[in-house]
Amino acid sequence: MPQTETYTLSMGPQHPSTHGVLQVRLDLDGETILKATPYMGYLHRGIEKLLESRTYVQGVPYTDRLDYVSSMNNNLGYCRAVEELAQIEVPERAEYIRVIVAELNRIASHLVFIGSLAIDLGASTGMLYAFRDREKVLDLFDLVCGARMTFHYIRVGGVSADLPPEFAAKCDEFLKVLPEFMQEYEDILTGNEIFQYRLKGTSRMTKEQALSHNMTGPNIRAVGIPFDIRKVDGYGVYPKLAFDVPVGENGDNWDRYRVRYLEIYESAKLVRQALDGLPEGDFMAKFPKALRPPKGEVYSRTEGTRGELGFYIVSDGGPKPYRVHIRRPSFINLQGLDDMCRGMLIGDSVAAFSAIDPLMGEVDC
Amino acid sequence: MFGEGLLTGMGVTWKHFWGKKETFCYPEEKLPMTERFRGGHLMFDHTKCVACTLCSLACPNQAIKLKIVPDAMKKRHIESYVHLVGRCLYCNLCIEACNFHALSWDKNYAISTWHKEEMDDELVTAEGKEFFNEMMEKAKAEAEAKAKAEADKQKNEGGDA
Amino acid sequence: MEIWNTIMEQGVLATASEILRWFFMLVFASELIVDIIMKGIGIGAILGVISVAAIVFTYAERKVCAFMQVRIGPNRVGGRYGLLQSIADMLKLMSKEDIIPEGCDRVVWALAPMLLFVPSALIYAFFPFDKGAAFADVNVGVFLMLAISSQAVLPFLMSGYASNSKYAFIGGIRTVAQMLSYEAPMVFSLLGVVMLSGSMRMCDIVEAQSQQLWFILMQPIAFVVFVISATAETNRTPFDLVEDESEIVAGPFAEYSGMRWALFFLAEYANLLSVSILFLPGVVWFGLKVLAMVFVFMWFRWTFPRTRIDQMLAFSWKVLLPLALANVLFTGVGIYARQWM
Repeated sequence: MPQTETYTLSMGPQHPSTHGVLQVRLDLDGETILKATPYMGYLHRGIEKLLESRTYVQGVPYTDRLDYVSSMNNNLGYCRAVEELAQIEVPERAEYIRVIVAELNRIASHLVFIGSLAIDLGASTGMLYAFRDREKVLDLFDLVCGARMTFHYIRVGGVSADLPPEFAAKCDEFLKVLPEFMQEYEDILTGNEIFQYRLKGTSRMTKEQALSHNMTGPNIRAVGIPFDIRKVDGYGVYPKLAFDVPVGENGDNWDRYRVRYLEIYESAKLVRQALDGLPEGDFMAKFPKALRPPKGEVYSRTEGTRGELGFYIVSDGGPKPYRVHIRRPSFINLQGLDDMCRGMLIGDSVAAFSAIDPLMGEVDC
Repeated sequence: MFGEGLLTGMGVTWKHFWGKKETFCYPEEKLPMTERFRGGHLMFDHTKCVACTLCSLACPNQAIKLKIVPDAMKKRHIESYVHLVGRCLYCNLCIEACNFHALSWDKNYAISTWHKEEMDDELVTAEGKEFFNEMMEKAKAEAEAKAKAEADKQKNEGGDA
Repeated sequence: MEIWNTIMEQGVLATASEILRWFFMLVFASELIVDIIMKGIGIGAILGVISVAAIVFTYAERKVCAFMQVRIGPNRVGGRYGLLQSIADMLKLMSKEDIIPEGCDRVVWALAPMLLFVPSALIYAFFPFDKGAAFADVNVGVFLMLAISSQAVLPFLMSGYASNSKYAFIGGIRTVAQMLSYEAPMVFSLLGVVMLSGSMRMCDIVEAQSQQLWFILMQPIAFVVFVISATAETNRTPFDLVEDESEIVAGPFAEYSGMRWALFFLAEYANLLSVSILFLPGVVWFGLKVLAMVFVFMWFRWTFPRTRIDQMLAFSWKVLLPLALANVLFTGVGIYARQWM
């Protein structure tokens, strides 16, 4: 009588498809996954602690390094928290500029998602196309703030500089070609039968499971819960702009892909509206250079590209925060990996990491 | 179903096979950097600097090491301005902190070095050193002249008395 | 003019071998020695074809891949078009350190890449490169070729088992599952061709095509089934589950480096060439047809995502095999009807 036994496969931290340095230990029975345990911490840099030893203004560039494909959204989250703590009123123009850059960054980040999902499923050409188009967004950011990755553009009290004069035309051009690119992904990935077979019905999650893991962002919208902090909290000027929240039906990988795919269109819509409605005025609020927020604490949340990005800051009245804690959406979403992988095959586990879209800079912080 | 999607996908790659390519052959073709580009080494204008150390204080990562020497007239001058490139976050805070626009980026992004030690970049050029020495000399001369004038004055006063 | 006519009649390669044979007969004047020399030249030529094919195909693959991905591909080594890129790659591979993983089964591990190359090269013995220019024109050519090519399973399994790595092990096991299941539809798709030409001799199959329609037109279903199963046999996307860099890193090759890895690579391209030759033998257009087929395989690779192991096996047994069997049935009915008419 032949005997079988389960074995453990350690995927990562050196592995082509773990999005950085994630280690996942898979307990396998043949090719079937019995249990998937993510091990994190290979990229820990102590950003929370670093923020505590810098002044409020100096901390902003460190948030760039959290989720490094959507730095604008991290800047926004931190700056909103500090502004709430110090009661700084942000000028309206700055709020509109923030919407433009944050939504453009969401497009760029979702393009990275599409690209990395494609390469994890073996379609390397799809990845190249997505990254090619992301470059177009990065060119815009280069124009705005002089950096392509660590933007440090959104500052406490506003933004670091006004939009350059040629930005509006270039952004307009990008928004015009975006549907063409999207059609290309539709042709090469979405319509592809193999791609559909790989994603549909795999790593399915119920609403209860997703809620119990406290998933946020596209991962919770994929199971059918329209939870989007831009709508729920309505921070900034988002209530003035019209956009939809795409939701999935089944909570499988396909829905996770579809939700992000549709969100690119919504973000493009938001950018368009914000560009059209951009008011005149200051781009930076007036506040003392040596910022000393009053004693107290604040938890401020924004919709990052990967979910609820929350900053909890305690102030002791000094120039530096007393304590900073960051609620990183990637970290919390990754807790659902085990539920998503159980009973699936090794190939599905790769699709599942990709569909959660974790970014190790943010997970390990 | 039945491979329509596969064929559409093949159509896309076929189109791109003959289409325009996106590659730039880097060392031969260089794209211009944007106006606001942050990168490369810092450029320091010694004539504008007043040695206020605001840039060094604004730096979140202590990447700027300054050596400030007061001259004979108690005015402060920069003798050495070291930009520790390896620690730099390229956050632009130092440049924004300077009220006299003495700092800027040189936008030369090709700054890799063989050794870590070579990454520390001294921004005060030979010309700047000369300027510094000149200023020190000038201040010394001024101070001496002043001291002399004072001494003369005292002498005269003494004489009067 | 007369020589020209003979060449056209006999084929270029056959004429060349005639001339060579005549020359050696003058020198050695012994049938046995000349036979041995001629066989040696033949083996050398086949190995030469394989190595040249590997060099050309690596370059072609990189360029095709780059062009499809809106890049320009190699453009440094050997002029603007990077023509010497594959030579440079080869030199790099040869100068690399030979890393032997700890705890591996040394003998089996070292044997695997060499053994993998044997069936890939042996298949070429039965190929009709030109009229009358098959190295060994056996009367069961097709059968032997399939039998030998199925031996490629073992070296994969050996390397997967001997590498002392779980990635390689999974890869090795996947190879067996994949190759066994795709062998069946492949054999049945070729059966239609054999039925039409009435012979298993490779040269007869080529002959039959020059007399009737090309088999690609007479047997379109068989051709599609064959191309799909050939993609699986050569471990190329969408069926490259054996190497599968995003799941099991590189499968059985994961622990190999330098020249050993290059042998796997060589075998892969040798297989690619052989499956491209198989369905489209001809006379003058031979080279063009092969290149077109190779391009199609590359096109697949750089367009499609990868399937999952269960989907792949299900596709083989539930779709391809019935299709191939149906094709055999229809071919039989067709032949019968034709005889009847």
